[in-house]
Amino acid sequence: MSKQRLLHVLVPLLSIVFVLSACVAPPTPAAEAPSGEEPAAEAVTLTWAFWGSPAEAETHMKVADAFMAEHPNIEIETMIEPWSDYFTKVQTLWASGDASVIPDVLFLWPTPRYAADGVLENLEPWIEKSGYDLSDYWPALLESAMYEGDVYGFPRDIGIEVLYYNKDTFDEVGVDYPTEDWTWDDFLAAAEKLTVVESSGRVSRYALGMEGGKYQLWSGQNSGSILDDMRNPSKCTLTEPAAMEAIKFFADLMNNNLAMRDANLSQAGGDSAAFQSGQVAMIIQNASRVSAFNQAGMNYDVAPVPIPEDGQRSASAGGAAWVMSSASDNKEEAWTFLSWLQSTEGGLRIYTESGEVFPALKSVARSDAFLEADAPPENREAFLTEGENAKVGRFGYFPEWGELNGSIISPGLQRVWAGEATPEEAVPEICDQVDAFLAENGYPK
Amino acid sequence: MVGSLGLSFVRWNLLTPPTFVGLSNYTQLIARDRIFHKVLWNTLYFTITIVPLQLALGLILAVALNQAIRGLTFYRAIYFMPVVTNIVAAAMIFQWMFNRDFGIISAMIWRLAEVTGLPIQPPDWLNSTFWAKPAVVLLTLWKNMGFTMVIYLAGLQAIPHELYDAAKVDGAGALHRFRYVTIPMVSPTTFFLLVIQMIGAFQLFSEPYVMTNGGPAQATLTIVYYIYQNAFEFGRMGKASAIAWVLFAFIFIFTFIQIRLQRRWVHYEAGE
Repeated sequence: MSKQRLLHVLVPLLSIVFVLSACVAPPTPAAEAPSGEEPAAEAVTLTWAFWGSPAEAETHMKVADAFMAEHPNIEIETMIEPWSDYFTKVQTLWASGDASVIPDVLFLWPTPRYAADGVLENLEPWIEKSGYDLSDYWPALLESAMYEGDVYGFPRDIGIEVLYYNKDTFDEVGVDYPTEDWTWDDFLAAAEKLTVVESSGRVSRYALGMEGGKYQLWSGQNSGSILDDMRNPSKCTLTEPAAMEAIKFFADLMNNNLAMRDANLSQAGGDSAAFQSGQVAMIIQNASRVSAFNQAGMNYDVAPVPIPEDGQRSASAGGAAWVMSSASDNKEEAWTFLSWLQSTEGGLRIYTESGEVFPALKSVARSDAFLEADAPPENREAFLTEGENAKVGRFGYFPEWGELNGSIISPGLQRVWAGEATPEEAVPEICDQVDAFLAENGYPK
Repeated sequence: MVGSLGLSFVRWNLLTPPTFVGLSNYTQLIARDRIFHKVLWNTLYFTITIVPLQLALGLILAVALNQAIRGLTFYRAIYFMPVVTNIVAAAMIFQWMFNRDFGIISAMIWRLAEVTGLPIQPPDWLNSTFWAKPAVVLLTLWKNMGFTMVIYLAGLQAIPHELYDAAKVDGAGALHRFRYVTIPMVSPTTFFLLVIQMIGAFQLFSEPYVMTNGGPAQATLTIVYYIYQNAFEFGRMGKASAIAWVLFAFIFIFTFIQIRLQRRWVHYEAGE
């Protein structure tokens, strides 16, 4: 009898032990193997990859923490690489095909190239399902993240340029600060006064520091273009009068000592360093410089970029975008994170408050996060003016653009920026090579 | 290596499956690729300037620092320092020094112009397709001279002193002793350095990568830089592999020629 009673006690007891052990056991492997096979109910780990300097990394971490605080069931694991190694690294990870190491959400540029290779998740179904609002993006901006008509990424910021000017230098020379109405002629007149050339020929201050690669800003203002179609090009259009005139305008700035030559600017440490050290009085650049100039305590402000008489504004509607890997194991969570990153109250707000970016969403740009920041530049409206009028056309949205630009267009124009060839000599030659390249690669498709 | 040979026959961008293209990567390179031809010429320019200058300067330094002078170790350390300096940091500093208006090298020339009243101007180093190459050569020499010097020092110290004494007795002056004793006696060292430096020059990458980005207008783009661009910037792994194999062939042929030629001028009879 006592044996039977013992069994009565033992059987339930043992089963309890079994059940308990079954409950206790699984969490250990789940915690050890993030994004493993089991769809662990409690916490899903997403790998989030981006590039950035240490200062930028800090902002990224802040964003990850804010998201995790709101979404306790999603754990964000970050992967940061310097810009120079980032693309090699993520391409290698993708090439490995191993879903456990491929980041779920990444920062990427240029989106169309990767979308063409099939490594990115088409976001259209997700957008449709959740009713995500695409109309909040600046005009034309989403085009930089589209491939064959579908959205594959959400641009975080928009790389629109404004004219930064050093107030101290303007005061010293007695030139009025730039205004929204400045034309190329007004700009030239001011530049003549701002440049300082010594009797030996040494230039001790240039009026402008601007990367040669930004020439299409001038050209776009003049309604000029690089290719007839930036998605499916059939020919180079740099030789057409609108583009030629703009290239000449820029080359003359350099030839007349009004703008620092492209190579010398990068030698001087880039436009940011040249502006801070007073080697140039103005630069034309996107919002990324604001935090550095504020830290350096500079007395500066910004204005919209001067345009030709009857010209248009043509800031670049393009920027690196957040994308989702098509190989992700946790797409549902990845979408939650992605759409939170690019929302009025989400990640974008934190990036904007850090002062490093001009936000891709109009609602954030018009919010206090951007406009009410109690730091220079004062004239933040200049960014809005440029944003409203942003244009595509600075980059080709086809896979071979990087090679075309990096091996033909950009080196070809460097001869012009170096003053070794006139636009009339160099540009037709570039266009011949571009046309040959396009034909060889089967364009137009 | 076998993998890369295989890769050189395909078109592959890392992300989509490779497609077989036969020899077209090679034929395109040799027959049609204008940039590849430019890159070959640039690499040749760097090799024929850097290697002889490197050897000559290294030997002169080694001879100078093989004398009993005060502070010898200090000088040797100073000249060796660039070898252990991080190339990226060094290239960035050189970049600043070369700046036309604000660099220290140009500053000396501007100052000279001011003092003498002559209408001279510093070269626009890294902005000029002509001057950017010598600028890269200068950086490379500065960086590697110490290495050549140290190897030569070792070679010099292996020369038996009696040889110099004998030459002196025969009435040979310092220059003659250098020409007829030192140079033949260090020829095995010279041979070693020649091979090593030539391979190094063929593989020049970091100096232009950091200092000039291969520019202006591809004036300082080297073979290895072009491999890098194709593989990681343009997504052309197959073409990059093909260039790597062409580079391998060059290094192989040149090294082979050197080994063949060494019988004519390298003397191994030291100590016998």
